[in-house]
Amino acid sequence: MSWNWRRLVGLELENTFTRRALLLGAAQAGGLALLGGRLYQIQVLEAARYAPLADDNRIEVEILPPVRGRIMDRAGTVLAGNEESFYASLRYFRGSDLKQSLELMSHIVPLTDEQRMVYYDKARHQRAGEPLTIARDLTFEQVAAINLNAPQLPGVETGITRRRQYFQGLAAGHLVGHTGRVEQHALDDDPVLKVDGMRVGKAGAELGFDKRLSGQAGSRKFEVDARGRIIRVLEEMEPIAGRDLVLSVDLKLQAAVVDRLSRVGRGALVVLDVRTGEVMAMASIPTYDPAALVERTSAAAWRSVGRQSNGSLVNRAVSGLYPPGSTFKMVTGLAALEAGATHLKEQVECRGSYTLAGQTFRCWKRHGHGACDFHRALTESCDVYFYEMANRIGINAIAGMGRKLGLGQLYACGLPGQKRGLVPDADWKKLRFRSAWLGGETVLAGIGQGYVLTSPLQLAVMTARLATGLAVRPALQRDGTADIPAPQFMPLGIDERWLEAVRAGMIGVVNAEGGTGSNAYLPGGPAVAGKTGTAQVVSNSTRSEDGTGSNDGTRDHALFVSFFPASAPRYAISCVVENGGSGGATAAPVVRDVIELILKDDPALRPMPAVRTAGGRAEDAEPQGGGT
Amino acid sequence: MRNLFEHRSVDTAEDKLWRVPWLVLAVVSLLVAVGTTTLYSVAGGSMYPWAEPHALRFLALAGVVLGAALVPIRLWARLAYPLYAISLLLLALVPLVGIEALGARRWLGVAGVSMQPSEFMKVGLVLALARYYQWLPPEETSSPRRILVPLALVAAPVALTLTQPDLGTAMLLAAVGLCMMFLAGASWLYYAAGLLSAWAMMPVVWDRLRDYQKRRIEIFLDPDKDPLGAGYHITQSKIALGSGGSSGKGFMQGTQSQLDFLPEKQTDFIFTMFAEEWGFAGGVLILALYAVLLALLLAMALQASTRFGRLVIGGTAAMIFLYVFINVAMVTGLVPVVGVPLPFLSYGGTSMTTIMASLGLAMSVHVHRKERFEPGSLKALW
Repeated sequence: MSWNWRRLVGLELENTFTRRALLLGAAQAGGLALLGGRLYQIQVLEAARYAPLADDNRIEVEILPPVRGRIMDRAGTVLAGNEESFYASLRYFRGSDLKQSLELMSHIVPLTDEQRMVYYDKARHQRAGEPLTIARDLTFEQVAAINLNAPQLPGVETGITRRRQYFQGLAAGHLVGHTGRVEQHALDDDPVLKVDGMRVGKAGAELGFDKRLSGQAGSRKFEVDARGRIIRVLEEMEPIAGRDLVLSVDLKLQAAVVDRLSRVGRGALVVLDVRTGEVMAMASIPTYDPAALVERTSAAAWRSVGRQSNGSLVNRAVSGLYPPGSTFKMVTGLAALEAGATHLKEQVECRGSYTLAGQTFRCWKRHGHGACDFHRALTESCDVYFYEMANRIGINAIAGMGRKLGLGQLYACGLPGQKRGLVPDADWKKLRFRSAWLGGETVLAGIGQGYVLTSPLQLAVMTARLATGLAVRPALQRDGTADIPAPQFMPLGIDERWLEAVRAGMIGVVNAEGGTGSNAYLPGGPAVAGKTGTAQVVSNSTRSEDGTGSNDGTRDHALFVSFFPASAPRYAISCVVENGGSGGATAAPVVRDVIELILKDDPALRPMPAVRTAGGRAEDAEPQGGGT
Repeated sequence: MRNLFEHRSVDTAEDKLWRVPWLVLAVVSLLVAVGTTTLYSVAGGSMYPWAEPHALRFLALAGVVLGAALVPIRLWARLAYPLYAISLLLLALVPLVGIEALGARRWLGVAGVSMQPSEFMKVGLVLALARYYQWLPPEETSSPRRILVPLALVAAPVALTLTQPDLGTAMLLAAVGLCMMFLAGASWLYYAAGLLSAWAMMPVVWDRLRDYQKRRIEIFLDPDKDPLGAGYHITQSKIALGSGGSSGKGFMQGTQSQLDFLPEKQTDFIFTMFAEEWGFAGGVLILALYAVLLALLLAMALQASTRFGRLVIGGTAAMIFLYVFINVAMVTGLVPVVGVPLPFLSYGGTSMTTIMASLGLAMSVHVHRKERFEPGSLKALW
């Protein structure tokens, strides 16, 4: 070789060809080195950048939505379930002929030209491999036709989707609530929420128990080729179905209550089991049918329900705030007795009005009740007696008793949309209005007017607490069977003598001569206790003469709270009829009918079937969905 | 004319066989083996449809190459012009009776066999140019009159292939022709002038390019312009290479190619396919094999005693280099996507036949390297 080299260098370099051949050879070597450098750049220096891109190419993740739990009443009647339906979706992959797929699809399912254009456009512009739903509610024949023609329909897939189904229409509307699309996605949202067709609880138990009902999404990671064909599944996580929910509500009673209340007008009615706090029925009128809001219920239909001036989506039982009126007198009376400001025998003279610091407060009975002791004052609902008591003990003592009895607070029982209401005191006013509490305001608060606001649920809780002397808390969920021990409520710490006096007064309201709630009297039935309330909506000066005029927005709200049987309380009921006028005339008869319904067919006496709850185990009771 | 056969070879076939550059054949065999292995992987672990035909085709062509190597060099020199003329004639026929496919007319169909005259022309051009310079006294190489003839020899087929249109082959033919003229000793000044005028002509050429050709160049300059369209090939190829990393994903484990994200992976993008599975190490190994092959050809060219022989080998080497360079530069995103296969690796009979034929000629030169016919000894142009 060395001989050769010497020859090349020594002699042949004179030769043009040799020189130029070496030059070209060098250029070629340079070219190959350049390619090597380029490879080094891509494969070594930038390798880290490309590896995830290759995975992005080949790995698809499909979210597997979980089955939503059913909602049932205490007897196991299904209130909300799931209906399966077939849909077809379209995925776009490089090279797949979308136009042809859509054209063929239009022979199987009706697709207008315009729809096809829209779908074509949408599918082209979404991330490769992401499915776009193009047809829903397919029949079995359509699904079969699509699968049969699959080779000619690249990118078209069929699947099963579940739609929420509500069986009980208007009866259980507010209780069950409804589901809907996630309207606005947060960045950190669970990816399952972005799945087309995914619904979340929006109201009622659907919202209050959303976490329990929705379960956990699964996922499937699979490897796809460039045409989107699935090569193999890399990883699969089954979804965990949501757990069924058994409500404490008795559908039969619920339906009857809704029916009865809706015959008198807007309002709300709550029936609690005082021993367990369970909500047996909860009506809000006007009600709505959640089935009307299901799925593609177009945004327009949804808005029309929401826009209705009657506000049928508002659950008045928890979101409606009303002045309690005379139903608040138990609070004032108990506070006065507890404070030692009066005793049961003391009589207060009622001449039809009460004067404080030059201001006159009238009793509802224009000519006065005469001398009233505690019992008579409650039975005949004498305002002057309670003006006097309120004035004696002051607002803070009243507010304290109100809170003790469950007013002005929220209950974590899976009832969303609760409003706190207001049990005012001096501090509150200072904070809110930066002014001192006035004596006249105490007097008004003493009869449940002025700033005091309560929800029907709170009034029912108050009544249950008066009936039992225990800190009853409402519950909406009832898991498993009747064997579950009733919750042990703490005693309220109110002297039993005073409670007995209040109960006796409430019994008198319904049963005694001159009682304001005699309309709730049940001939032949067990004794019923109650208290009427007639709450002024606007101040005296701006409303029609006596508040009993036309059924407009200024007419008084009619209220009635009740527990029965009076001797051994089992149920507490609160009822509000908006602008219903007198509580004794309008609300008491409704409550009487409801009591009659319960007595005819006591849900609590009915044997409780062991309700099978799919996906749920009774022992791992989760904290109840927050209704706050 | 008689001069051509003046000194008849007295060598026996056995003598000649000893002089066949077996090392070249060994390197080529290695490359073909790599190609076969890769084609086996492309098919998802199957000898069909590519790996086995590829290997068999090579074995058959290796026989042809050996045959060609034993044919006396003078005979090749004598056949140079006729082969060029026939190729040109076939090329001229393509626009008239060619088969149209994918918007271009490149193929001729004869009795059920289709062929690409532009491929014959690659061999024909090398032979014709070498033959011309064998006839031309070296001192006249750069005379303007003597430059025009080889220019015309190059320009005619280039123009014909451009009309097909086949930009890739046209550029390859032009580049091989210019390389050979450079090797023959044409003055630098011509190249400088050519470069200048080419630069000036650029706008005109741009106007005459087909839309898809323009698009390819635009996409090349900015592949992100259309990541799912025309830029897709480049992007996916780079992803495949990059994700292969330094040591590769392993034989048959290349996700980009196995899952079809890589286009044309058995032909134009076979290098990517290989380098995804074998990594930077594998890619460099292939480049090294080509470097060895080119070095061997260069050594053979320097040992050849006739101008014809030197230029035949030089032209062959230039062609192989250009194939390799354009192909690898394309799949690594250095040049726009043009359909140029990778010699010995890409599946496809046409290009392999062409390159093996050229290699056969180069070997014939080497086998007969001692035979001298002095510059200008072939007095007649014919």
